[in-house]
Amino acid sequence: MKRYSRSMVSAFVLLAFHGVVLLAGFFAPYGYATQYRALPHAPPSLIHFVDCSGRAHFRPFVFGLKEQEGTFSQYERDCETRYAVRFFPRGDGYTLFGFLNTDVHLFGVDEPGRIFLLGTDGFGRDQFSRTLYGGQVSLFAGLIAAGLCVGVGMVAGTLAGLYGGVVDASLMRLAELCIAVPALYLLLAVRSLLPLQVGPAAAFVLVVLVIGSVTWGRPARLVRGVVLSARERNFVLAARGFGATPAYLFRRHLLPETASVSLSQFAVLVPQFIMFEIMLSFLGLGVGEPFPSWGNLLAQAQQYHNLVSYWWLLLPGLAPVPVLMAYYSLSNLLQQGPGAKNEEII
Amino acid sequence: MNSPAAGPLLSVAGLRVVYTGADGRSSVALSSLDLEVGERETIGVVGESGSGKSSLAQALLRLLPSNAQVAADRLCFRGRDMLGCSHAELRQLRGEGIALISQEPALSLNPVVDIGRQIEDVLAAHRDLSRTERKKRVEAILRDVGFDEPARIMKAYPHQLSGGQRQRAAIAQALICSPSLLIADEPLSALDSATQAEVLALLRRIRSERKLAMIFITHNARILEGLADRVLVMRKGEIAATGTVEELAASKDDSIAGLISPEKTLGRVAGPRSSVAIEPLMQVQGLSKKFIQRRPFSNRGFEITALNDVSFEVHQGVSAAIIGRSGSGKSTLARCLAGLEQQDRGEILISGEKRAGAVQMIFQDAGAALNPRFTAFDVIAEPLVIQGRLKAQERRERVETAMEEVGLDPEWMDRRADEFSGGQKQRLALARALAANPRILILDEAFSGLDLPLQARMMRLVLELQQHHSLACIHITHDLNFVSLFASEVLVMDAGRIVDRTSPAGMLESENPVTQAIVSQSESLRAVGLEAVL
Amino acid sequence: MILYLAKRLGQTFLLLLGVSILLFVLTQAIPGDFFSEAQLNPNISADVLHSLRSQYGLDRPLPVRYGRWLAALIKGDMGYSFSYNQPVTRLLLPRLANTLVLAVPALLVCWAIALVAGVLFAGYGGRWTSRAFSFGTSMMLATPDVLLGLAALLFAARTHLFPTGGMTSVGVKAGLLPAAKDLLSHLVLPSAVFILSAVAPILRHVYAEMKQVLQSPHIRAAEGHGIPRLRLLFRYALPAAANPLISLFGLSFGLMFSVVLVVEIVLSWPGLGPTMLEAILARDMFVTLGGVLLSALLLVTGNLLADILLYVADPRIRVQE
Repeated sequence: MKRYSRSMVSAFVLLAFHGVVLLAGFFAPYGYATQYRALPHAPPSLIHFVDCSGRAHFRPFVFGLKEQEGTFSQYERDCETRYAVRFFPRGDGYTLFGFLNTDVHLFGVDEPGRIFLLGTDGFGRDQFSRTLYGGQVSLFAGLIAAGLCVGVGMVAGTLAGLYGGVVDASLMRLAELCIAVPALYLLLAVRSLLPLQVGPAAAFVLVVLVIGSVTWGRPARLVRGVVLSARERNFVLAARGFGATPAYLFRRHLLPETASVSLSQFAVLVPQFIMFEIMLSFLGLGVGEPFPSWGNLLAQAQQYHNLVSYWWLLLPGLAPVPVLMAYYSLSNLLQQGPGAKNEEII
Repeated sequence: MNSPAAGPLLSVAGLRVVYTGADGRSSVALSSLDLEVGERETIGVVGESGSGKSSLAQALLRLLPSNAQVAADRLCFRGRDMLGCSHAELRQLRGEGIALISQEPALSLNPVVDIGRQIEDVLAAHRDLSRTERKKRVEAILRDVGFDEPARIMKAYPHQLSGGQRQRAAIAQALICSPSLLIADEPLSALDSATQAEVLALLRRIRSERKLAMIFITHNARILEGLADRVLVMRKGEIAATGTVEELAASKDDSIAGLISPEKTLGRVAGPRSSVAIEPLMQVQGLSKKFIQRRPFSNRGFEITALNDVSFEVHQGVSAAIIGRSGSGKSTLARCLAGLEQQDRGEILISGEKRAGAVQMIFQDAGAALNPRFTAFDVIAEPLVIQGRLKAQERRERVETAMEEVGLDPEWMDRRADEFSGGQKQRLALARALAANPRILILDEAFSGLDLPLQARMMRLVLELQQHHSLACIHITHDLNFVSLFASEVLVMDAGRIVDRTSPAGMLESENPVTQAIVSQSESLRAVGLEAVL
Repeated sequence: MILYLAKRLGQTFLLLLGVSILLFVLTQAIPGDFFSEAQLNPNISADVLHSLRSQYGLDRPLPVRYGRWLAALIKGDMGYSFSYNQPVTRLLLPRLANTLVLAVPALLVCWAIALVAGVLFAGYGGRWTSRAFSFGTSMMLATPDVLLGLAALLFAARTHLFPTGGMTSVGVKAGLLPAAKDLLSHLVLPSAVFILSAVAPILRHVYAEMKQVLQSPHIRAAEGHGIPRLRLLFRYALPAAANPLISLFGLSFGLMFSVVLVVEIVLSWPGLGPTMLEAILARDMFVTLGGVLLSALLLVTGNLLADILLYVADPRIRVQE
């Protein structure tokens, strides 16, 4: 019961995050590329109920910003201007699910005011909106790459375990080669072979393919081990004694075993691959400007001057934390379940 | 602290133990148990598995896992309240006042610490002695439990010792601080019968030499005869009866009497029968099998001859017993007969032809023999599904009949296999074997993991099924429990060969040294049914 | 044992050979080389390019190029860096040394922390501590290394307690002691980030293995004999849990390379990582290849080390009757 409710919480967090990120256009007040050139490096907007003269307002509002005299990108709040927070205002146009054109957002403030929950970057782009859009890349790159990796691993491991001999030897030697190189270095090496300047969509596919192709070795070895040990289990022997065909044994006895191991592998790998994507994009080898990802959002903070002056540039880096924690908690619960424990890869 | 004169050594009143499972449900292991142990008194505790007897052992040392709640009106050792003890006091008491010998010596010794250190650490935890003095005492105690070369044993690791040696080392560890109460929790159940006899003799000697009080927990009440002053029978967390072994054997309550004399459960069904058919059902000719074994971190493989020119035959409707010590090749033989292993040489003929499927095997570990993800229906219907026989509705009916036949409620058809208890799992395995429509059933130590009374019930079931389906049964076993009650032929195996071929009664007169050794061990352990032929 | 070790060494060698073939084929499989970009430059004629290519042997068939590269590799020559204009070996070795100076002590500290904390948490933790433990460690796991590095940098910049990057400062007084002090002060920040990033997975493994071992019958039995708790945890339970942890120790060299790469780039530590990144961006193949090979060599060595440790630590393997 307790286990069940804890996995429900994790599943809910994951669903919520993936949903919000998929519907980023609606949840974000601005487009990911919309620039407010007048407001570069604006700090996070605070939502107020009380104005400068101490009067309380029913509807929350934000203050306008004005540049301090004689400074560059140093703002102070302008007590004269108040912009009320509104729900479902119209703003930048976007497309949902590839066909639904609309311009309604969850929230916004009255024109010409701006609401920047996480501040803006050097081009005056809203970091909150960019973080939501960035999740589209980071979350789904991790998800799809893990699917690819576990899928390839499962097929290779099952083949190796079932057929043995040359198939086993060659597949496992290849897997060992992939394991023998530190994953991130191999990732960089493979990435370095591919074109550097590519569009966001192509970069996304590249990142997914590269991550999936260098990491399948470990799940393959794991699945092979499961197949080998399951083959020797007494209940499989007994089924063979009844005259079971290899296809029957695979379908009824081996597949459920490998599937449960693969599932918990999957839950461990997704967060790692999200980290890989963040790393690649941070290093400029993943998805590039203007499209955001959780990695390239942090890249701008790498410039010493930016980091020291505008601390909110770090805020998008916190976005992965709850998602990854939910994944880790889910994978922990999966490993306690039937189908024994399996190694968390490092 | 040193006032042994007043009152009993251990006094327990109203002891309750409740476990809380991971799902939040709680189960009562012990409900209101009273127990008094006097100085130098030996109490036997008997019960089937699940009766709470192991919880009792752990509760007395307050060793229960954290999900167990212990409460008692009184839990006193030498007049001192154990429930109010601090951790440090409790730790002092363990090993010095009360010592424990646990079930499985292979598991109760640390695999990566040498024996000498494991014993010495117990001494160091309780006595302030110099290193050389400690070493001297460890050597002395090892000599006392029957090791000729204590120095060698001290440097050895558990994996280098045999099962009997390990249990003796564990006993030495328990005795090193001269406790006044020894709790032995099923000290024999994980050992083969040769070692059982040896360890039992050692425990008897120690008890009288060291003037120990002892609580001896077992499912085999017969070995308590002449050992225990009193025997408690436990059932569902309560004491169902108290008395001497003889008194309990005469109890009117059938289940209590059945604990002491399991052969009564077998009743009239049994009775060795001689073969009538002229044509043998199964003929085994010149079976041989070798294995290559490798050790980790070494490339040298060495050859093990598991079967060496084994020949015998079995007739329809007859039970044969194949007896041998572990490593004698009897399990390999079973797997070859069932077609799960390919022999190197030799032939197995069923009614004169080579046929697969007519031989079904029941494995020792029922848990591993059933896919835990399967439901009871999936398990039993598997041979029908694989062989593509019968329609869905007919299959269901067949499974229902099979479940009823082995004494399982057909209502449980949709429960998962891992929800069944050990005995029920063996019943499931039997039902599955029957569904395959076999002519020969091989039982490879099938019931040796179960309690003796449960073994008796399972044996009775097998005998009934055998009669009903006119099966031939081959029982593979290492002890003589029940053998004289069902077998018409006994084959004794040693080092991959059949060394003796006789009847249960004939075993007693056999000249063969292997047979003689097995018989004498079984006598000292009071194997069930041996009196029948004596 | 010696036979086993020899065989294991042979396997390792073959594995590295395989890695080198795989990587070489991969690098050569893509179209274009270092001089492809130069083709677009109208100042460089095709003839010059051709002679440059033959000078560096780029016009030979693949197996020949691999053979020459391997032969050179065995002599310690990993090729020539076009963009740095110096031999790869001379370029990479000092940087590798810098990486190891940072990473190896930090990894060892991680293990020390993980072993002590993991054993104590597993041995003394109740329901709430174990929940707090799993929450805390999963939070550490979930925080991107990049963010940790940047936050540390911000911290250093605001407080001026530590240098904000690099490995040495200019204008340090001559002599061994001031130099060591300078190096240490530069080490603090990157080491802290490394430890925070790398300790969580190791700690969780130690904890999980210990929890499992603590449930085993021999621990229950030792407790029943009155062995003191600390001794029970560190002398009985930890050795019994050691095997999977030793294997993990070998694997943790891989973890080390991942973590140190980020630390080096964010905190501008002059190690292997930044050089690799520059080489990738400049398409300087031999540098990339050399860096990956070096990292593979160290990881494989780590695994070999773990195997030997396993042999030493486990009497079930070491002592056979």
